[in-house]
Amino acid sequence: MFKHTISELKEALVCLQAGRVTLAYPFQPHAPGGEFRGKPVIDVDKCIGCGACANACPARLITLDDVNGYRTLHFELGRCTYCASCRDVCPQQALRMSPQFELSTSSLEDLQIHVQFKLVLCRSCGEAVSTQRSVNLVNDKLAASELHQDDRDYLDLCIACKRKLAIHTPSLNLEVVP
Amino acid sequence: MSRLLDWCFKKSIWVYHVNAGSCNGCDIEILDVLTPYYDVERFGIKLVHTPRHADALLVTGPVTRQVRERLLRLYEATPDPKLVIAVGSCATNGGIWYNSYSTLGGLSNVLPVNIFIPGCPPRPEAILYGVAQALGLVPKQVESQIVMEA
Repeated sequence: MFKHTISELKEALVCLQAGRVTLAYPFQPHAPGGEFRGKPVIDVDKCIGCGACANACPARLITLDDVNGYRTLHFELGRCTYCASCRDVCPQQALRMSPQFELSTSSLEDLQIHVQFKLVLCRSCGEAVSTQRSVNLVNDKLAASELHQDDRDYLDLCIACKRKLAIHTPSLNLEVVP
Repeated sequence: MSRLLDWCFKKSIWVYHVNAGSCNGCDIEILDVLTPYYDVERFGIKLVHTPRHADALLVTGPVTRQVRERLLRLYEATPDPKLVIAVGSCATNGGIWYNSYSTLGGLSNVLPVNIFIPGCPPRPEAILYGVAQALGLVPKQVESQIVMEA
């Protein structure tokens, strides 16, 4: 009996020495440390709308939709698993994982991101080729390269029309030097 | 009436935890919230063993087809007024199982949800924040983002 009381008193002493352990969390910020991955944030100025993130996303929450000459990049962040696959595949480093984790909301619409890009339509058939930004990027890269080929005239053609043009114009075909 | 509801939800909501097909990641984070380090009992929140004592249902998991019927029975057994809290990406929007044949793709397809706490799993702080937001102690932090290119 006496032994038991002493052990309880010891325990009380340990608890007193520990002091206050509880976080005052919602009233005081408690930022996550290390490489915590929170809500993905898109840098709209860098993004070219290529859709690499939509291919990589395991939860398929990123969708692309081409309507009326505009491409819509849509994020449904409610089912995001914060795996950062989208960040890893982005060729423009336009996505980053922010440390924000306080994402609770009463409506799922708060967890959506819509970004709209202008599309380049094929000059021959009117099909969507790619976004204006990615066509501009390819144009700049070709201009800076040392290949000196006049491929830049065909950037506003879709793949099918490009193929047709290449078949019907023999001068475009590359000569194979033996 | 709504003011009365606001008043009675300010303190001591008792929570019944429902696992609706969760992988147990979120359940372990809920367990963390109950430890002295996070100590959710300072808001008067505690887990109860039956939905008949509960004010709030804390649901994790994407709601499998098997659990749907039990979930509806739990919801009916909870006395009004009641809160439904969806914890984790699965309960919020179905997670990576959103279009699987065996799940119903999120809690909002089955029950009216009061607050969503996304995360895979959500940090204990995120769960605390969500509950505090449901109690009206802290503001909402996320907003939808719409960007149009000219």
